[in-house]
Amino acid sequence: MATVILQNVCKSYGNRKTVHDVNLTIEDKEFMVLVGPSGCGKSTTLRMVAGLEDITAGRLTIDGRDVTDAPPQQRDIAMVFQSYALYPHMTAYRNMAFGLLKTTRLSKAEIDGRIREAAEILHITDLLDRRPKELSGGERQRVAIGRALVRKPKVFLFDEPLSNLDAKLRNRMRGELKRLHRELGLTVIYVTHDQIEAMTLGSRVAMMSKGELQQVGVPMDVYMRPANTFVATFIGSPEMALLPCRADAGGVLGHDGFAAGVALGGTELPSDVILGVRPEEVSFSRTAGMARGQVERSELIGAEALVEVALGEDRITVRSAVADAPEPGEQVGLDFDLARVRLFHAGTGQAIDRQG
Amino acid sequence: MTAISEAQPAAHAPRRRSVLARLKGNWLQFIMLPVALLWMSPLIWIVLTSLKTKAEVFDPEAGFLPQALNFANYPATLAVAPFGTYLINSIIVTGSILAAQLVTITLAAYAFARLEFPLKRLLFSLFLLQVMFPIYAIFLTNFITLREFGLINTLPAMIVPFVASGYGTFMLRQSFRQVPQELSDAARLDGCGHFGILWHVFLPLVQPTLIAFGIISVVTHWNDYMWPLLVTNSDNVRTLPIGLGLLAKSDSGADWTRLMAGTVIVVSPLLLAFVIFQRRFIDSFMHTGVK
Amino acid sequence: MSLNVARARRNEALLAYAFLFPSLVFLAVFTYWPILRSIWFSLHDVVLGDPEIFWLGAENYLRLLDDGLFWKVFANTALYTLITIPLAILVALLLAVALDSKLRGIGLYRSAFFYPVMIPSVAAGMVWVFLYAPGYGPINEALTFLGLPRLDWLYSSKWALPAIMLMSIWKYSGYFMLILLAALKLVPSDLYEAARLDGVSAPQRLIHITVPLISPTLYFVIVIGLLHSYQIFDYVYVMTQGGPADATNVLTFYIYQNGFQYQDIGYASTLANTLLVFVLGLIGLVSVTLGRRVHYLGER
Repeated sequence: MATVILQNVCKSYGNRKTVHDVNLTIEDKEFMVLVGPSGCGKSTTLRMVAGLEDITAGRLTIDGRDVTDAPPQQRDIAMVFQSYALYPHMTAYRNMAFGLLKTTRLSKAEIDGRIREAAEILHITDLLDRRPKELSGGERQRVAIGRALVRKPKVFLFDEPLSNLDAKLRNRMRGELKRLHRELGLTVIYVTHDQIEAMTLGSRVAMMSKGELQQVGVPMDVYMRPANTFVATFIGSPEMALLPCRADAGGVLGHDGFAAGVALGGTELPSDVILGVRPEEVSFSRTAGMARGQVERSELIGAEALVEVALGEDRITVRSAVADAPEPGEQVGLDFDLARVRLFHAGTGQAIDRQG
Repeated sequence: MTAISEAQPAAHAPRRRSVLARLKGNWLQFIMLPVALLWMSPLIWIVLTSLKTKAEVFDPEAGFLPQALNFANYPATLAVAPFGTYLINSIIVTGSILAAQLVTITLAAYAFARLEFPLKRLLFSLFLLQVMFPIYAIFLTNFITLREFGLINTLPAMIVPFVASGYGTFMLRQSFRQVPQELSDAARLDGCGHFGILWHVFLPLVQPTLIAFGIISVVTHWNDYMWPLLVTNSDNVRTLPIGLGLLAKSDSGADWTRLMAGTVIVVSPLLLAFVIFQRRFIDSFMHTGVK
Repeated sequence: MSLNVARARRNEALLAYAFLFPSLVFLAVFTYWPILRSIWFSLHDVVLGDPEIFWLGAENYLRLLDDGLFWKVFANTALYTLITIPLAILVALLLAVALDSKLRGIGLYRSAFFYPVMIPSVAAGMVWVFLYAPGYGPINEALTFLGLPRLDWLYSSKWALPAIMLMSIWKYSGYFMLILLAALKLVPSDLYEAARLDGVSAPQRLIHITVPLISPTLYFVIVIGLLHSYQIFDYVYVMTQGGPADATNVLTFYIYQNGFQYQDIGYASTLANTLLVFVLGLIGLVSVTLGRRVHYLGER
């Protein structure tokens, strides 16, 4: 297994630049998730690692070897595609054997051994004689993973592998992928637009937007301390409320709906900031509360309620117990968990580090 | 359990069809059956006449059906011309054209579907241009060209003008473009170059198109009359349709019974293949990019 | 790095040209070169087998304008094309719509209409000579049976061309039908259901829903039909040799007569070029008038 290093990797089509200067190191046995909205350049980045796209500028090394210009089969990688890309005219077995026959000098027996082993791990031993048409979506997915496993590559690349599955199956396959990663010690680069997949699967996540890397870190870290307003709103559901405020030197924030003081730890605030509050960082106040607003919408989703409250021009979502959920139209008081909320520069959207 | 629950709706379905729908189905049958018979009538006449005696054909009193099944016309026809040689020539010519076309159109279609190169659009329009050109506008010049090559009255003369096919290239390119990009990506990761992708991924996936094109090509060239007629003048290189034409012009005048027997002989290989592979034949044909 | 990208791109282009090479060689020798040569021939006095060639300039084209027979032949060709192709497509469309239902024995019907396509044109031509025979031919027998007057068909300068047209419709409708049938299968059935709920009658559904939706295929069929219509050469050659009194002489046959019977390559080439212009003109006309109106379900 191996470390993958992307140094200033760029991609442009003619004059249009789709990936800007990506610097990213994927450590050995790490599960790195590239996440971002569609068109953010994450798939292009993955395809450059795979060798399916030329790298316009920059350097790529896998396990210390420069493979920037190497053809895909010489990079020691395997890939699982969104559509699975199984050869329709070959059985599952042939699908898994094909790459080994083409790229290795393994004997028939060794290939068979590898396929049986992978099939066992993936519970598809019974399906090996079937063609993709005769397999369900989940089964195809397993065969596609099997095809990557038998190659025993240094790096596994996944391009939105779960997006063609229904919600229930997706959940199960997520667990399955996690188990494979843990048990087999794989190095994985995984592309998704789904922040829940990113949060649950990644050892680390790399957020991308508009072809640029926004933040790289452990999922909870990215969740708690997003580097900018883009990351803040992309990760977490329902999304974080962003409340534009005026700040004075004493750390008191002024907003149409409220005024609140935050601990600054010595940081100087610009005059215009954005207060970022996650739904679980705000609660209904039994007293007057820090802020007052009117309930717009109240959704009971089983275990809890999501209540949208208007604060002046802005909206904030509150996660509350079902029993406490107010009715639409009610005036409510809100308390912010000021130790956890975060601030961003109004102009740049960059996070303000309050610890100095 | 499952077998029972699945069988039930199937058993009920026909009964559930409304009376109106069934009436409408029959109503269509009443129109279509006579029309189909009308369409079939020339073929029926061919077969019936081939079994009649010469006298019967011209006898207005004779019935629709032959009085007795008379198979003598068949050996008599075969004696008029060397049909065995014609048959072999037809197979060689049609087979060579098809084989050569499959190679040229596969390569060209792959280039147009999946490779980037300068002048791609211009070259593609040049290929399409060939589809538009009626062969009848250039047969004269092609005849002269072949004469300069010294190929007149040889089998290659009937093959070489048809080796490249703009139509086939176009059809196959459409099909190639429908192969998902991820499949060829997967093949590249599995260590395939362009030839590998073409052989292991593209060609197996476009089989219906290849079959449909094969049918069109074989039918066209198996039945071609004009070109072989122009470029051949001796029995040892002639093809079946020419043989048939010779029958019509035999000195004894229009010998319909033999002529029809000859027609049955020439037509039956294709018709037989058609009847046997009818489903596959039509499915392939309909499946193809001619939308 | 970008150097390598450039090299990869160059290799791809070289591979593409290598892939196109076999096709291009044959296209060049047997399609493009003959056209150029045919233009050159048309400007000269060329006799088949005679190495001596004289420059004529536009003389062959002037002769064409003065050639009464050419105009007759041209009119025959235009008449045949403009009547046969639309009629064959109409028949094909009706057959396709009828067969696009759950009719019993659908396979047999499809075979019954498609088989003429597979009969060699020479065989078809001869069979129809027999069917059209004035004395004993089954068609005249049928006319008598129906109480209609018998016709001289291929021996009548009035009926010979229509006779060939009729047989062409029989020969080609099945081919067009199959292509249209494939297109009909792709028309979403909920459109018909919606129209039926709106109380639209069957003929109106055909005109207002089916035809617009399959118009790309209809357009394709028209072009294919135009290109096929030149096979009339085979029928003329087998059935009438252009007669009686050039009533069935068409451009392709007239080219053959001039080139191979009179060995006048120069004039035959002039006619061939005229045919080429005529065909390309018709296709151009079709794409300008119909191509723009075509409704595309998909992208193409």
